[in-house]
Amino acid sequence: MPGSGQSNDRRLGFKASQEVVVVAISVVLFVVFSATLHNFLSQGNIIAILKNVSILGTLAVGMGFVVVGRGIDLTMVAVMVVGVAFSIWISTWGIDFTLAVICGALLVAAIGLFTGVMVAVAEVPPIFATLAIASSVYGSGRIVFASDVLYAPPDIAWLKFVGNGSVLGIPMSVLIFGAVAALMGLFLRKTRFGRLVYATGDNPNAARTTGLPTRPIIVMQYVISALIAFTAGIIMTGLVTGIDTRLYNSSLIYDVLLVVVLGGIGLSGGQGGVRNVIAGTVLVGILTNGMTILNFSYTSQNLIKSVILLGALAIDAIINPRDEQTSQSGDI
Amino acid sequence: MRIFKKCLFTGLAALALLGTARVASAQETDQVGRAAYIDGVKGKKVIFVPISQGMDLNQAWVMVWQRHAARYGFTLEVRDPNGDTNAGIRAMQGAIAEKPDLIIVQNPDVQTYARLLKQAQAAGIKVLQVNMQSATQTDSYVGNDWIEMGRLEMGELAKHCTGPNAVSHKVVWLAGVQTGAANIYMRTGIDEVLKANPELQLVSDQPADYISEKARQITETVLQQHPDLCGIMGIWDNAEVGAGAAVAAAGKQDQVTIVTNGAGAATGCESIKNGLLDVIFNFNAPTQGEIAAQQISELLQHPDRKAGSEKTIFFGPITRVDKTDATGRNCWKPEDIK
Repeated sequence: MPGSGQSNDRRLGFKASQEVVVVAISVVLFVVFSATLHNFLSQGNIIAILKNVSILGTLAVGMGFVVVGRGIDLTMVAVMVVGVAFSIWISTWGIDFTLAVICGALLVAAIGLFTGVMVAVAEVPPIFATLAIASSVYGSGRIVFASDVLYAPPDIAWLKFVGNGSVLGIPMSVLIFGAVAALMGLFLRKTRFGRLVYATGDNPNAARTTGLPTRPIIVMQYVISALIAFTAGIIMTGLVTGIDTRLYNSSLIYDVLLVVVLGGIGLSGGQGGVRNVIAGTVLVGILTNGMTILNFSYTSQNLIKSVILLGALAIDAIINPRDEQTSQSGDI
Repeated sequence: MRIFKKCLFTGLAALALLGTARVASAQETDQVGRAAYIDGVKGKKVIFVPISQGMDLNQAWVMVWQRHAARYGFTLEVRDPNGDTNAGIRAMQGAIAEKPDLIIVQNPDVQTYARLLKQAQAAGIKVLQVNMQSATQTDSYVGNDWIEMGRLEMGELAKHCTGPNAVSHKVVWLAGVQTGAANIYMRTGIDEVLKANPELQLVSDQPADYISEKARQITETVLQQHPDLCGIMGIWDNAEVGAGAAVAAAGKQDQVTIVTNGAGAATGCESIKNGLLDVIFNFNAPTQGEIAAQQISELLQHPDRKAGSEKTIFFGPITRVDKTDATGRNCWKPEDIK
């Protein structure tokens, strides 16, 4: 892994990476909840935890991929809800639902392409570009679809399988999350393209000077993250029979960022990977599950989550200190 | 010649008589008070600030009101903040500055617009609140009796989850937004039923934020904790389908009764037929819209009455809908209202 993190760690006498810290917190919470909460440590509840974070985790894999390349994709939730809502909407014209889903995927890829071009070619800072595009995408959807909530046709066998099916006792939603994560992990570690993403994220100017195709790499990142967001939307539609476009107004996109940052993917890019995303996702999953079982109020749940995000950012700042190199343009 | 003259006169006289008779009959057939009504309503300006027009109930109301406005010649403008409270405050401020004859408002919670509504009333603008009340009472409220709604829903669960045959006495309240009027008042009704049925055990009280996936996640977690859960009650059919999905995934559709309320849209009936929901207390949004339309007329007809001088409340009808009657008028589609 490129980056100067390890030497800094040694200097601070702080050997644990953020990922290790997060895993440690997860283990502590897991042990405490298992000991104190009835039925927490049951097979059913463990599967419930994984199932409940499958959408969040899938989105976070896409977000993590972009953040590794020193970007950020705030369009993910907008793209997810509008992409799937578009598919459902055109299926009401009598188009086969599977075909409609393919059309939705194409639309989503086109949005990702546009976002990528805005960031890579027009060089709009990703946080602003994606914030504005998210708003336009959601707004356009809001004009086209009459209702916030769109229900998928009821008799689509494969969609039902995505929602309720399982293989060897593991729900499909968890398997899809696992597959997306595994593919992304392999892609980042084992392919040349994946290594180029790290290089671009670590130092975009140096990468470009050495002749790497940084612009196409950045564009591809946004296309892929949009398609991953669409996949998460399909999982959701399978699970709850429809899609609620108002999710765009919820804190979901921040929860996704929380998972990425919490897991230890530095916002300055070039570091971390899918393992970090999984660590972050599992912690949020355990925390949410425990707080729901304890029947904590909504406000206190949000408070606890925010304190953890703040803590993660603080730890991130200590472990990956900003210097002249990492605080150049493109860093948020 | 004379005969001709006589004929002419008689003819003219006859025509004149006929003419007066026509005028007289036209005066008689003008419905009493209609002209004054149209005079009072015509050309008036009404602004509606909803929570979000993307919700089924809002669409039904506005369709009914637009028809009413077109028929009687007043204008209705919808300023949709789309679920954003800050945008809603700006919309309200803008509406007050424009001095319309009437503002209709659906409050996101009891506090946000409370001061703005006082300002509007002080500025002489009449205010009609629909379905979601503010802490400030204004000229009129048309919508649900939410305390009764809480009582009805928890009462339904009490039927299933008390007595010797109940699988357990465990029930769940999947709230909406905790500061919303519906939420606050339903809780009062729920508490009354819980007090009257002390064996009922409220095992979880979590807000799903009107989002189905959140409702699903909470239900899935709670079901692990309480596999013998007896009932779930919620606040909006479009969110509780998520609870239904979690119950269905656990194969407990026969064990867990899911009760919620809704605008009476066909999508809710579909959810009952799919087995995701058991009972919807249907507040029939088109009917609610019609009641509000009459309230609009009343408020516009009496410009002499000072804003805020009279305070009225109209609770709309609530119908219990389950799989035996999830048809016909209990399940409206937008095209039926148009």
